[in-house]
Amino acid sequence: MTDTTTTVTTSSAQQHTAESLSVWLVDRIAVYLKRSSDQIDATVPLAEYGLDSVAALSLCGDIEEDFDLVLEPTVAWDYPTIEALAAHILEELSTQAGAA
Amino acid sequence: MTTAQEVRAAARIAEIEAALGDPADPANPVGQARLLEADEAGELLAAGEKALEALNLNAEFVPVELGGRLERIDTLVRVLRQVFRRDVALGLGYGVTSFMAAVNVWTEGDERQQARLAEILLDGGRASVAYHELAHGNDFVRNEFEARVQPDGSFVLHGAKQVINNAARADAWLLFSRTDDAPGSRSHSVLMVERAGVDPERVTVLPRYTTVGVRGCQLAGLDFTEAPVAAEALVGSLGQGVELALRSFQITRSAVPGMALGGADAALRTVVSFALGRRLYRRSVMEIPHARATLGNAFLDLLISDSLSLVGTRAVHLLPEETSVYASAVKYLVPKLLQETMYELSIVLGARFYVRDGEFGGFQKNVRDLPVLSLGHAGSAACQATIIPQLPRLARRAWFQDAPAPAELFQPRTDLPAIPFRRLALASGKDSLSASLVAAVDELPDGSPEEVAVQSLALRLMDELRQIQEQSLTLSLEDRTALASPASFALADRYTVVLAGAAVLGVWREARADGGDPFLADPAWAAAALDRLVRRLGYQPAALPASCAERVHQELLRRFEEHRSFDLYDCPLAG
Repeated sequence: MTDTTTTVTTSSAQQHTAESLSVWLVDRIAVYLKRSSDQIDATVPLAEYGLDSVAALSLCGDIEEDFDLVLEPTVAWDYPTIEALAAHILEELSTQAGAA
Repeated sequence: MTTAQEVRAAARIAEIEAALGDPADPANPVGQARLLEADEAGELLAAGEKALEALNLNAEFVPVELGGRLERIDTLVRVLRQVFRRDVALGLGYGVTSFMAAVNVWTEGDERQQARLAEILLDGGRASVAYHELAHGNDFVRNEFEARVQPDGSFVLHGAKQVINNAARADAWLLFSRTDDAPGSRSHSVLMVERAGVDPERVTVLPRYTTVGVRGCQLAGLDFTEAPVAAEALVGSLGQGVELALRSFQITRSAVPGMALGGADAALRTVVSFALGRRLYRRSVMEIPHARATLGNAFLDLLISDSLSLVGTRAVHLLPEETSVYASAVKYLVPKLLQETMYELSIVLGARFYVRDGEFGGFQKNVRDLPVLSLGHAGSAACQATIIPQLPRLARRAWFQDAPAPAELFQPRTDLPAIPFRRLALASGKDSLSASLVAAVDELPDGSPEEVAVQSLALRLMDELRQIQEQSLTLSLEDRTALASPASFALADRYTVVLAGAAVLGVWREARADGGDPFLADPAWAAAALDRLVRRLGYQPAALPASCAERVHQELLRRFEEHRSFDLYDCPLAG
């Protein structure tokens, strides 16, 4: 489990935590599903919610756009739940912030 | 300058044309009369398969490095077009199925697998591509056919695959298999399994499907019962099946529609022959304005289709990071254009379009055969669904920003580098094809009335791209999935039309700079082709100079009389 108290500062000076990323992702996925955010479980694979393989690729573009991050296009395939994806984004943010 | 690649391609086509002969000759063992009989009997013409075997057609599907002839995808299309021209079923059933299977191995297979498949194909054997499960259609991530991974890395195959071309007679099957129970895109793998390596007690060939068209194709299913296969069957890595499929599809989606252009070429030839020979109202049908316009438009549709196909196939070599979108555009738009063309031509042919034998019998066969291109492999909607999620990103990052494509993208006879199988990207963030349209708009000549027409139509297409950009930016998240609203699908449709326009414009501009082909260098065809595309988008552009349609008509007649192909190559044909 990722420690949700870890914070990362990006170039845009925004502070992200696993929790804030999770909230962001839940909101996105909820829109895909036309459900309210509280009906989305962060531990359920996105594919179970009907996110097809190509649409999952486009999620990567959304993440890049909002967080100024460069990711593998298959990131949502390799980290198939919101929980896993949030942890991965956090890790990438800290790596890329550290490298900058 | 004629390059070595071009010399090889032209010689190979001449060899195939000579071997397959004049389709209209009743004494030709692989002529239209025999092909129609085979179709009626639901068989592939044995003499046709034999002729293709003697030509070692399979070598076209094997990369040069592995002992075959495959060096360029656009050349592969051009060569296979000569087979499709005679019989779509023979083209698919003898050959292309093997190519569709083999691309997976050329992309991700190891050295041993590549050498083995090359050996099978060069010996005249066949490979089948088993992706399809009827229950899941193009939603292949839901596929259930299992390759259960054993502790020692080997697999146990269990379950069924349906509607597989040559399932019963292939020497090797490429099986898209579930290797993990979890949902999602990392649960499938591709296996190359040789028939000889499977216990015959554990695999059953399911009954053949009968179809409306390509009746000679042997579509059947395979049902495996707990059949063990060795670990070496795995192509690429475990769990990479979806990724491999999305890469391989880029090559096959961009290639197959252009091959089928041969079928439409044959149909147009039939109707031109009819229009010139039949007299009504004391004149030939060709003198009736509606018929004349329809035939000219059909020729333009073939040129448009070939321009998009050319760009799609050359992009595999030149712009592998961008092909995901282009390949889907080719696979979506070209079969659609060709089917619409067939419908228009059937109106000119009148009642003869309903006749199953004789001089015009080949026409109804093509009407039945060509739609398979919109169904098999990837359906039209599946191709649109590949494009839709990529639109917002292209809108934000690519359109009106990217550098134009290299000039070679639009040059049918210029050399290409080797096929970069491993560089094909899953999704595209760039679009240099549309950038070529945008860049060209400022540089277009405006001396002649035809050139002015090209310029104003190109402007219209650029404006359309701007509108597509605005609408793509506002696409909601749910409108980017396969379950998107019809408006998203319409947006993808319009975008493919713009790409086709960019391809036509590029082909004309490069032909003009090169000067080798006086017809392709003439703005008349480009104006007429762009006019068709702009009208397709629902606009009513100013009337074209009459010289445009006249030039296209004269070229159509010349090529008919001189037995030359109705595509970008103006290639000499055997009848």
